[in-house]
Amino acid sequence: MRQLTHMIRIAALLVATTTAAHADHHGMAMGSSDTASSYSANVALVAASFSPSQDSNMAYGGDYEGVSAGADWSIDRYSAGASWAYYRLLRNGAEQYGVGDLSVHGQVALLAHHDVSAGVLAALSVPTGNEVYGFGMGHPMVMPAVYGAWRNGPVELAASFGYSRALASGTHVHGMAPLVDPMNMSELSWSAGGNIAVASGVRAGLRACGGVPVGSMPGVDRVVGAVRVAWGTARVETAAEVQGGFAGDPFNIRGVLSTALRF
Amino acid sequence: MRAIYIALFVLAACGTTAQPTPTGATCPDVNNPQFTWQNFGYDFMCHYCDNCHDSNLAIDQRNGAPKFHNTDSLLGVMDIQVHTDEQAAIGPKAANRFMPGGGTNGKCPSMPGGPLDMDCVEPTDEERTNLGVFLACELQRPDDWTGSAGHVTDHCAAYKAAHP
Repeated sequence: MRQLTHMIRIAALLVATTTAAHADHHGMAMGSSDTASSYSANVALVAASFSPSQDSNMAYGGDYEGVSAGADWSIDRYSAGASWAYYRLLRNGAEQYGVGDLSVHGQVALLAHHDVSAGVLAALSVPTGNEVYGFGMGHPMVMPAVYGAWRNGPVELAASFGYSRALASGTHVHGMAPLVDPMNMSELSWSAGGNIAVASGVRAGLRACGGVPVGSMPGVDRVVGAVRVAWGTARVETAAEVQGGFAGDPFNIRGVLSTALRF
Repeated sequence: MRAIYIALFVLAACGTTAQPTPTGATCPDVNNPQFTWQNFGYDFMCHYCDNCHDSNLAIDQRNGAPKFHNTDSLLGVMDIQVHTDEQAAIGPKAANRFMPGGGTNGKCPSMPGGPLDMDCVEPTDEERTNLGVFLACELQRPDDWTGSAGHVTDHCAAYKAAHP
């Protein structure tokens, strides 16, 4: 259970919530060195505002709120899961409701040695969200990556790096999409973060993630920073995170409140 | 195996949605175009598009229209010629009827920047076909819209005065 908890915290560091950008999905799956199967279910609430910055081609301003649900399963060094979100989106004065893209993911821990772990992971988004309204990309997206994590006493650090690619063309060929979870059609995706135990059952941390467009498809650099507080036990954990969009106009500010239950 | 079939069905279903597609419309006579901004484009845009796509509208008054997609001047129309063709025009390669109303469940404002209080008035197929030809011709006549006249806009004031 201790190792499982460690892996869960790594996942939280890399991703923090199921409603983070697709590129942030690196590490979402929870790994475990336990040989028994384990399951988890999570739910998250998200709220964000977005607007064009002065030097941006971002064409929309508004806000959105959403609720996401996810489930994960892990055994030995393997894990897999899925998540889906439902949003209310106010975009340039028009209000819409709808689901986002379904995300599925898998992970294999290639190295799990004491307080160091590393492995590979991949996420795939299925275009279930309406791309015209800004809920979905309009195409499948595959997001493979490698990750590494290190722990020393109360301190945990983790990072991931990968390449994300659209499997077909969509209507956002001239920039990031969708509004509720923006990323480029072809990009190098990264994330890094750390947290520290500040009291019994309470941890605080910082995290950053983003994407750098590559290839012939147009895109923009994206950088998101976040501060996070999590509290709970090994089986139930609740976290609050405030995120800021520092480059690329993914959003101005976004808040996420999430709870995970593990079996 | 059943789960795989379900997943494949979902993926296939997601891939069959109609997509905005270039119409392939061409200009029959670029030196003597049948449709111009003066005799077609201005009225078309003011009648079907301007209540959401006017450059005077604040971002929260556009009912979802993108910030830089403005159709109240010829320059604005041609800046997004590809989008307009893919969203609203008919030609030999595609019949696009996504706009107006494509981002608002078919609802439109009855006044610029107003609430979505009416069903969108749809162009006829003939008008959509003419739109494709108009855009194709203007694309080959860049002097029309890159010059000073291309910037001119009255935000459809003349059209609204003639069609109260």
